[in-house]
Amino acid sequence: MQKRPFLFFVVLLFFIIGLLPVLSMLLKSIMAEGRFSLEAYEGILTSHRQWTLMGHSMALSFWVMLLTTIVGVPLGVLLGKTNLPLRRFFIFLFVIPLLIPPYITAVSWFDLLGREGLLSRLIGPSFAGMSSRFLFGLPGCVAILFTTFLPIPILLTMVFLRTVNPRLEEAGKLVSGWRGILKGITIPLILPGILLAAMLTFILSFGEFGVSNFLRYGVFPVESFTQFSAFYNFKAATAAAVPLVLVTFVVLLSEAGFLREKTFRLRPSAETEDLPLIALGTSRNGLFVLVTLFGFFLVIVPILVLIVQSANIQAYAEALSRAGDSLLRSLFYAVIGATSLTLFGFFSGYLIQTKTFRYWRAIDFTTIFLFALPGTVIGIGLISLWNTPYTNFIYGTLWIIILGYLAKYTALTSRITVNQLTQISPAMEEAAQVAGAGWFRRLIFIIIPLARRGLLAGWIVGYIFSLRDTAITMLVYPAGHDTLPVRIFTLMANGSAQLIAALCVMLILATLLPAGILWLIANPLLRKAKR
Amino acid sequence: MLRSLLNRKFLLMPLSARTGVMIFLGLIILIFGCNKKKEAANTVTVYVSEDQVFSEPVLKDFEKETGIDVRAVYDTEEAKSTGAMNRLIAEKNNPQADVYWANEPIRSEVLKQKGIAASYFSPQAKDIPNVFKDPRGYWTGFSARARVLVVNNRVKDTPQSILAYTDPRWKGKAVIANPLFGTTTSEIAALYTIWGDKRAEAFLVAMKKNGVTLSTSNGESADFVAAGEKDFSLVDSDDAVNRMRQGKPVTMIYPDQQENGLGCFIVPNVVVLIKGAPHLTAARRLIDYLLSKETERKLAFADCAQIPLHTAVEIPPELKPLSELKVMQVNYAEVAKKMIEIQPFLKAWVGF
Repeated sequence: MQKRPFLFFVVLLFFIIGLLPVLSMLLKSIMAEGRFSLEAYEGILTSHRQWTLMGHSMALSFWVMLLTTIVGVPLGVLLGKTNLPLRRFFIFLFVIPLLIPPYITAVSWFDLLGREGLLSRLIGPSFAGMSSRFLFGLPGCVAILFTTFLPIPILLTMVFLRTVNPRLEEAGKLVSGWRGILKGITIPLILPGILLAAMLTFILSFGEFGVSNFLRYGVFPVESFTQFSAFYNFKAATAAAVPLVLVTFVVLLSEAGFLREKTFRLRPSAETEDLPLIALGTSRNGLFVLVTLFGFFLVIVPILVLIVQSANIQAYAEALSRAGDSLLRSLFYAVIGATSLTLFGFFSGYLIQTKTFRYWRAIDFTTIFLFALPGTVIGIGLISLWNTPYTNFIYGTLWIIILGYLAKYTALTSRITVNQLTQISPAMEEAAQVAGAGWFRRLIFIIIPLARRGLLAGWIVGYIFSLRDTAITMLVYPAGHDTLPVRIFTLMANGSAQLIAALCVMLILATLLPAGILWLIANPLLRKAKR
Repeated sequence: MLRSLLNRKFLLMPLSARTGVMIFLGLIILIFGCNKKKEAANTVTVYVSEDQVFSEPVLKDFEKETGIDVRAVYDTEEAKSTGAMNRLIAEKNNPQADVYWANEPIRSEVLKQKGIAASYFSPQAKDIPNVFKDPRGYWTGFSARARVLVVNNRVKDTPQSILAYTDPRWKGKAVIANPLFGTTTSEIAALYTIWGDKRAEAFLVAMKKNGVTLSTSNGESADFVAAGEKDFSLVDSDDAVNRMRQGKPVTMIYPDQQENGLGCFIVPNVVVLIKGAPHLTAARRLIDYLLSKETERKLAFADCAQIPLHTAVEIPPELKPLSELKVMQVNYAEVAKKMIEIQPFLKAWVGF
């Protein structure tokens, strides 16, 4: 009985933090002078421009989904199920673009392919004109979002591969080679994972705003942001966000419907430590070179471009003097955000995994729904709800930013917790319960120690996503509380290319270094303690 | 008695409830602890629409010279320099800002009309021409940009008037920033107030007929001209000076300087005191600082190359002093009003 009231309190808090701002925003958009009115929505249905923007968003999301799936799934199989050399390194390499704000990747490609980019200086202005036309528009947006979201199908393919029972594949070996096994057994079994990755990529691309804005490709989230920021039309901004909400809702609903009966396969098989690997044979070296080249162009080149562009001590000195305070603030907020996300994610993950409430699926769905929702929508919702004289202690302080992080990213830490808890035998908790231990005691002395690796991973993921957030923070940050990604965004207006590149390198280091160091120090300790 | 009862009750609670209460109390302490406001007199909150790269050094200098802590919200170019103003409107009943530093006067007029601006006559503004000040002290201009023609150097007979946009000689060779946003909107609204609706609309229609290209910003227009893709464009003087300082093959022309010419449209920065400002004294000090000759000198030599409105302020060689320019004679309040009126026409013109 102890845990239900506490977990109910967590659900209530999440409702207030995450869902209430979105609901409040929707409610205000359908009211005019105290009466029900759909005036704000009429423009959306009647304007040709809105349909064009919707078409752009759909096209962008579709191409990103298609390309990431086509490339990501084979790459996931290659990295997760073969004897390719340096697999761990490649996994780390391909995950990097997901960890940095997509518009930073856009900046680096712009520095390379823009009218005055590095290639223009090397090859000539005629090439620059062509590459610039490619970059500014649908192809450029697709290319950058492809780079950013490619890790999703790679990682999900690898995770789902670990859930396939090796005995099925061993049985397959009796009648076929690996090609036949993959085609007839493995891929059909991990199909839910592939679909999940495709859908996630679709809705994340659909809600992305920074890249399209930077590359001047009109999409729906930019419209919502512009309605709020350039016209101060709160209702029109909400109305412009509603199609995004609806598309996200439909995609998630179909995903839930399709995967409902298949999610049991997410549980790792008992033999996860001894997954049968595919021996690549003679093609091993060729594939190794191919993956190396792909990783080089996709991940290393953009980072190198930023480093080359900013290779000047003065640029870094100026970057530090202009944004040193924002960098420190970003780190501080990311630590608070990560800690809050770990706590929240742990409890929501626990109640989802233990199915404490009958509506556990709704909670799971809500966290993912908010994660998929564009940051601008959540930002507008937060302003709509908290900007009152009575709630100034939230709206006027850093807490409005932390609430934004909680609303948007709880799904990540919650899912990590669920994944971790599935690996802990329920018998442990039951034995303690029989011995008379209360729920909190069981949590503190049994569950949390056993789930500590998941908690650490959750904290690091929370840290990274809090640190890279731009869309929510930019809309709600109180005066003097801007973060480094926001500072980079505002300095882009007439800031020198060197300065912007130096700031981007600083942000990448601030993201990767603390998270990497923490993982390198804490992970072996936790493994040792487990043994 | 009460305390001991509370203590006993607290101890009798189950561990989960005790932990819950402690987490809740911890959160409250954390929230209110971090919310402790700094000494009011020593802080000023300013919302800024001028590009951060130019405005921040000025605000830093103010901090150094006065010891007053400046907390700023900067706009982004992507928000078309109106995000800060929109936050001011959203916060009308609960003002967070003390001062608004706008990069043009039109939206300050909107703030005045919405009752968000407060009146303040700064002693530093005495020498600033009246056309750049609100007569009731709701806003005051300083450091201006001129709307100029940036022309590629390969063009021999350069355009000297904005009417070149409708001249068949320049068919398909001109570019202009989207008139729904920024200073281009302001200039078009200014033309409406001078020419009247009929002539201004005819000008826009003729411009479109003459194959003008639309860009997303003045900066992009200047880049098109610098790259030789277009012959000329109407941009802000800082966009032109910026490209010239980068060594791009462009020239800056102040348009319509002939005897009966319209003159060039001047877009001053504007500072506004916010009604109900939480830090009034510090806000007035910041306004005085921004309106000083020294700030105007700094902004003239910065990359934004803005023209001082005070007389006898040193300027870089690329700029002409205000006294040597034929300036378009407009009433900014009327321009602000007109800007809202012409939105539907402009939206249709752009093709929204």
